[in-house]
Amino acid sequence: MTDAPPPAPPGRHDRPLAPAGGAQAVSELPVVTTYPLAFTGQAGEYFRIWIVNTALSIVTLGLYLPWARVRQRQYFYGHTWLDGQNFEYTASPVALLRGYLIVGAFFLAYSVTANFDSTLWIAGLIAVLFFGLYPWLVMKSLRFVAASTTYRGLRFRHHGKAGGAYLAYGLANVAAGLTGGLALPWAWFMQRRYQVQNAAYGNAHATFRGDVGDFYVIGLTGLAVGIGGGVLLALPLIALFFLLGGANFPEAGGETFTPGLVAGLVGAYLALLALYAVAWQYVRAATLRSVLNRVEVGGVVRTGATFSPWRLVWIGVSNALVQALTLGLATPWAAVRRARYVVQGVQVRAIASLDDFAADAAPSESALGEAATELLDINLGF
Amino acid sequence: MTLPAPDPLSLSGVFFDGRTSRDRAATLTVSAGEAQLRVDGGLETRWAVTQLRIDPPVPGVRRVLKFPDGSRFETADDASVTALEARTGRNRALGQVRRLETRWWTALGALALTLALAWGFVAYGIPALARGAAKATPRSVLATFDRETVQFLEDGGYLGSSRLSAARQAQLQTEFRRVTAWAGGGYPYRLLLRDGAPEDAPFQLGANAFALPNGTVVMTDQLVALARSDRELLGVLAHETGHVTHRHGLAGVYQGLGLTLLSVAVTGDLISAGTFAAAVPAALLRNGYSRAAETQADEGAGRYLMGTYGTTRPLRDILARLDREDRNADESSVRGGSRTEDLLQTHPGTAQRLRHLRDIEARGR
Repeated sequence: MTDAPPPAPPGRHDRPLAPAGGAQAVSELPVVTTYPLAFTGQAGEYFRIWIVNTALSIVTLGLYLPWARVRQRQYFYGHTWLDGQNFEYTASPVALLRGYLIVGAFFLAYSVTANFDSTLWIAGLIAVLFFGLYPWLVMKSLRFVAASTTYRGLRFRHHGKAGGAYLAYGLANVAAGLTGGLALPWAWFMQRRYQVQNAAYGNAHATFRGDVGDFYVIGLTGLAVGIGGGVLLALPLIALFFLLGGANFPEAGGETFTPGLVAGLVGAYLALLALYAVAWQYVRAATLRSVLNRVEVGGVVRTGATFSPWRLVWIGVSNALVQALTLGLATPWAAVRRARYVVQGVQVRAIASLDDFAADAAPSESALGEAATELLDINLGF
Repeated sequence: MTLPAPDPLSLSGVFFDGRTSRDRAATLTVSAGEAQLRVDGGLETRWAVTQLRIDPPVPGVRRVLKFPDGSRFETADDASVTALEARTGRNRALGQVRRLETRWWTALGALALTLALAWGFVAYGIPALARGAAKATPRSVLATFDRETVQFLEDGGYLGSSRLSAARQAQLQTEFRRVTAWAGGGYPYRLLLRDGAPEDAPFQLGANAFALPNGTVVMTDQLVALARSDRELLGVLAHETGHVTHRHGLAGVYQGLGLTLLSVAVTGDLISAGTFAAAVPAALLRNGYSRAAETQADEGAGRYLMGTYGTTRPLRDILARLDREDRNADESSVRGGSRTEDLLQTHPGTAQRLRHLRDIEARGR
């Protein structure tokens, strides 16, 4: 109630002064205006929204969950500003609920039937169905998310077709698996290209200017981090192992697992987990930045990102740690912290006014894919 | 609605026509069922208030009013929009939610409620639901469970054929029938005597006995060898039939399912719930349920022993011997374990179980 509107519209750019005496303007070059994105969400305010909606979801046995998700998302969209206007999330909770119920029913059927030999074929059928439909679900989800995002009264759209989805999310993933990961960066490239190339704001289509090379550089850096960190971690651990536990082995009759050895093993496991998290977070952060630096909309707008992937890795890892230590209660704070850093590090550069986009006929999209990707945590990469 | 003519509301904000991304300053004046929109640059339109769609409020987020032609009016004047909602009776439910979200004391109340419900669900809800589901499960499903588990254990090489003499086996079978006659419940009880440590077993079961949901009880040669009298074995078998009649095995499966659903609710999706971080607390809780089931089975076994022999001593002795892995041990050789150790075990600490059995004996006298 007391939350006053921000004093000045955040994200409002300083409009370039009109060139004096415009007639003899020297340059044919268009004037590039940079619009920074701004995020005005507050951790305390979002914590209240989060906990109230969580409690309502529990009290209603999960039926309120779609409303909770929509409100939480509306908070983040509504606090993201560009050129004095905020974004808006417009998904219908009822549509999401329908999707949740369908996906939940399938998951329940799978869990139950997988327990018995006589019904195992049903579980198998559901698994096959899921993998067969996976690219299609991703496509539906992308279309739904885009159609649910509004800015300046115009909706975003995603024009992705099933064929492209099966190429980017089906064939490319299979190829990545068959080549032992060699084709994985290519699969990432195909997927990001599918996401961006089919996106549109109003009737202005987006184009993706990235190439496969970027993704191989990111993938190799992530791999190097993983291997390098592994070696750095393993050396002292192996030394410690020989000093403490290894020497005991010859006469080890009963007690093979000394407390020291067990602690060492647990420590090594946690270190490996952390290392994996760091490498993976790096790949995600660097991909996000690289993609944002290569998006063009309608030929007049380009997005750019200046946030540091490493800083984002640190935010991701420390967030996870704090969330684990607070039994999840710090989740709202972590989400606001990450969103603020990412959003404040994104800019839009335009050679035309952001006023000049026009609407496109926007069909309504089904929420089934969105429900599936959300409940099954399918990572869309953003 | 209560006043004959409520004061007109005047809101200033931004207008978007829904066809272009152009923002135009605008004012919206609402009075007596009519909304008048004045947009900078001359455009002026009127709508009936009933035609307006007001998006539900989210704290700190600019309010949106939508018109039938796809245009919209956005304003930071939340107070006036709230007043308009009150007048027209819109967004009652989500307006209420917003009221809960804006105050700290209601948010902390929601936090307390969440924690209390989570605890209550884990402590009482899941066990009660699992018990109910286990009771309702048809016998044919139980039979499938037994058949598939025994098949798995035998094919996997965990169990070998018993090395006990035919006479000894027949003797144990006869005694087992006495226990099952006492336990009742109409289950097709059968006792499988097996070698718990066959060569090249992937995992040594050793001295062990366990019950499957439909009344199949497996007892290993190693346990038979550990016992100094058949009374001790009967105590163990009575304990196992308690698991059958209370349907603990099946309840355990349902409890696992309930905990999975809870992990999903906490982590927010189905995949994170399967990760290590979520698995550890779930496993600890599962062990807690399992300890409660063991106590209940001990209770039954204690009553059987009291009824038959007037003492719970035989079960106490064999528990002690299992605990010390020593054929010469008895209950006095068991010392109390720590509480943390308890948390990691599926059975209550042996010291605690012995105390429980001694209590039963004291009560029985």
